[in-house]
Amino acid sequence: MKLSRRKFLQAGSAALIGLSVKADRAITGGFVNDSSQLGHLLRDRAAFPAPKKVEKHAVVIVGGGMAGLSAAWRLQKRGFRDFVLLEMNEQPGGNSRWGVNEITAYPWAAHYVPVPGPKATYVRELFEDLGVLKDGVWDERALCFAPQERLFLYGRWQEGIEPAIGLSDKDRGQFRRLEDAIHKFRARGGFTIPMELGVSDQQADLDRISFADWLQGQGMDSRILNWYMNYCCRDDYGALASETSAWAGIHYFASREPAEKGPLTWPEGNGWIVRRLLKPVGEFVRREAMVHKITPGNQVYRVLAGDTEYKAEFVIFAAPTFLAPYIVEDFGPLHDFEYSPWLTANLTLERLPASYGSDSTWDNVVVNSPALGYVDALHQSVRSHIGRTVWTFYWALAERDPVSSRRLLLEKDWDYWKEAILHDLERVHPDIRECVSRMDIMRFGHAMARPRPGAIYAEQRRKLAHGDGRLLFANSDLSGFSIFEEAQYRGVRASEKVLRHLSGKV
Amino acid sequence: MGILLFITVLLIAACGLIYELIAGTVASYLLGDSVLEFSTIIGCYLFAMGIGSALSRFVQRGLAYRFVWIELMLGVVGGFSSALLFLAFAYTQGFQLLMYALVVVIGILVGLEIPILMRMVREHYHFRDVVAHVLTFDYLGALGASLLFPTLLVPHLGLVRSAMLFGLINVGVALWSTFLFAKQLPSAQLLRVCCILVMCGLAVGLAQAKRITAAAEENIYADEIILARDTRYQHIVLTRFKDDIRLFLNSHLQFSSRDEYRYHEALIHPGLSAVPAPRRVLVLGGGDGLAVREILKYPQIERITLVDLDPEMTRLFSTHPMLKALNGKSFLSEKVHTINADAFPWVDSNTDSFDFIVIDFPDPTNYSLGKLYTTAFYKAVARHLSAQGLMVVQSTSPMFARDSYWCIVETLKQAGLKTYPYHVYVPSFGEWGFVIASTHDYSPPTFLPAGLRFVSIDGLPAMFQFPPDMSPMPMPPNRLNDQVLVRAYDQDWKDISH
Repeated sequence: MKLSRRKFLQAGSAALIGLSVKADRAITGGFVNDSSQLGHLLRDRAAFPAPKKVEKHAVVIVGGGMAGLSAAWRLQKRGFRDFVLLEMNEQPGGNSRWGVNEITAYPWAAHYVPVPGPKATYVRELFEDLGVLKDGVWDERALCFAPQERLFLYGRWQEGIEPAIGLSDKDRGQFRRLEDAIHKFRARGGFTIPMELGVSDQQADLDRISFADWLQGQGMDSRILNWYMNYCCRDDYGALASETSAWAGIHYFASREPAEKGPLTWPEGNGWIVRRLLKPVGEFVRREAMVHKITPGNQVYRVLAGDTEYKAEFVIFAAPTFLAPYIVEDFGPLHDFEYSPWLTANLTLERLPASYGSDSTWDNVVVNSPALGYVDALHQSVRSHIGRTVWTFYWALAERDPVSSRRLLLEKDWDYWKEAILHDLERVHPDIRECVSRMDIMRFGHAMARPRPGAIYAEQRRKLAHGDGRLLFANSDLSGFSIFEEAQYRGVRASEKVLRHLSGKV
Repeated sequence: MGILLFITVLLIAACGLIYELIAGTVASYLLGDSVLEFSTIIGCYLFAMGIGSALSRFVQRGLAYRFVWIELMLGVVGGFSSALLFLAFAYTQGFQLLMYALVVVIGILVGLEIPILMRMVREHYHFRDVVAHVLTFDYLGALGASLLFPTLLVPHLGLVRSAMLFGLINVGVALWSTFLFAKQLPSAQLLRVCCILVMCGLAVGLAQAKRITAAAEENIYADEIILARDTRYQHIVLTRFKDDIRLFLNSHLQFSSRDEYRYHEALIHPGLSAVPAPRRVLVLGGGDGLAVREILKYPQIERITLVDLDPEMTRLFSTHPMLKALNGKSFLSEKVHTINADAFPWVDSNTDSFDFIVIDFPDPTNYSLGKLYTTAFYKAVARHLSAQGLMVVQSTSPMFARDSYWCIVETLKQAGLKTYPYHVYVPSFGEWGFVIASTHDYSPPTFLPAGLRFVSIDGLPAMFQFPPDMSPMPMPPNRLNDQVLVRAYDQDWKDISH
């Protein structure tokens, strides 16, 4: 019999102490929501069946993530009904999908929206529609409950994610200098959400170097500051600072100055927004309708999905743009579109584990972990007593290049990732294995756009973003990075353009 | 004879050190200052050993006979020393006097042992060898004892039984010596009978050690613990001292039966008496049924709904005879409907309206409890108020947690309510605060139920006046996303305790 090191240590220490070791729980689970097989059909240009029926619509929206749903929201809100939204999966939502078990709803990916600033007018409008913003006041129940975030470093938890304990004078000086620099960028107004409103040639230089190089150029070499910068880049872009455009790195900090203690969040994360959006637009959504071909024609686009051919005057392509070369006829190759692979895991906990004496928070981050930490779904519950709960564990595979990370993601089995995740959590919750009863893991090969140096100002990206024809692109990756506000902005803008054309025609 | 003799030395050395350690441990355990207690005890003990050694020169004849008697006495005094100390602490005023007396007696006896023993064997060995061997085994015994004491004796036997065990060993040495030195003992038989009698005494003590400790502890922890229970949600402890029953939840005092009537009369009557024709009342928290007891003094009330998280709590206060007596069997009234649920989700999902709502939660010591003191919660509760309805909130102490108190008032205001803060003096809590809140104007009642012991019409106006040291503080409201109250509360109590 081969004993693992862990088992051996357990048996050894048990013999020493003369106590029985508490048994680890059996953990069930597996991979869920895998969409790589569907996607690879497109990549491998598999043969799809010929259409059996034809439907005509003024507008076809491709992709039911936040961009597509936002496009639908705008059309429906303007009283326009002659459209369909084609979603590849059974469940719409894209990166805002969610799950539900007997304990709670929980997110599969995007789980919060920073409190929108005044420039994010579409986001504010949406939240007014959903009752989250009333007369300029944010609904207290949608704002993240206190305590929001904690960071584990030097063997203890601190409040907040930005390192604040154990800083040397040098560290503190550099954090302050960075804050000043960010403050200046913010004041100049070039970094906005949506990014389209601020982006200009003035900051183009920053897109030519990496964020890591920019930090170095500013003399910011503090180890802990660089850990934090890397963490932020991994969190929003799935990339290290050395793989992130300095423009994007600065945008992360300079674009936001919330007037309210947030962010906005719900137990199922941004799935809550999807659920609410589906109320008005659900009737237009066709599920399990993977678009495999789009052919431009004379006055009309032919969109093939499943056994149906959709004839449309306008196509809003809200799916990730990297799919376009595989779907749109004669599209040509795409440059500067790179995506970071991710995995997320939802852990069912029979009880909260020990936590070095700290109150549990919404977002929990561990310094020097390869992963991003976890979010407690029931944190955003008004209950006073929490027994069982669900944690969503986030891991952007940022350390290697996307292609080899993607290969790793698909190669390794569920047990490998389960052990890797438990191992990571064990550092801060030694008894985690006694608490977890289930772990479902979701793999995203192309989770979010990766804003490498040069990506933001890439000519092709800017051109697609500003397109105004009958085929309109709307995915958040046109901004160079995947966040809710960009997806929503691009979806709404695409619908605005369509409506303008259609009304011009009438 | 050689090795047996030296084992004797080893054993008596161990016994001597054990008694010293026991005295030191009992004293630090009961009196607290371990550095002081250990230092003075070791000092006294060594000094007494010196006295013993000095006295040994006056012992001239019958060395073996005297040695056996010394061992016997040590067995008795040392063996019962721990039990005596515990009982003395519990039942007398003279603990320290007795302790030092015991240490000195034991020290003198131990100080006599070795010189006498060395003189007894000097004929058989060179002086050089006697000193070397006796001291070697003496120190070895000390080492053994000092290792055994913390690792095995204290954790497994406890202090009382350890002392008795070593008392037995001392007497065992005495008995054994009657054989070892039989030639030098004229009346060995009589000595052996004495030894066996003392051994029986110690054996009985060893068997009864638990009862001795229990008798001592009951008096040491003056507040008798009637009940201690871990439920799914909290740790419940009930104590009684004479006629005072106290309830602690997670070690926070909830009430003392001596003055809880002040708290509960003040919580209920200023508000409830001001509601015209109240019929339906909601109590959030208050699983002790004491607030309900006060509410039941209004015969016109038809239905009292009590929502408390912990079923163990409400079950305890509806079944335990002593607690039922305290809340006047309020849970047995058919008007009372008990619901065991988390208050915030219950308030969210329920649609009933009430003429009076009592919010009586534990203080906001953590973020989970803090949710029950937020604008979101008060807004949700306010939706349950009938047109003439009032609510009252227990709001910590405006004296000791002044920021917290006024933070709760501000939170109620920001929830869109009119607020009427008031306070009373509850001896076991100190100055305590409440807030009446409503959507309309409140004026204090002109009529109260009969038989109140504390709240009176004449006394009401003073309750609503705050002297300068409790007057309003500017505070932000407590909200779900920014629980300023939990931080303020923590700070308020830190300021007092440091």
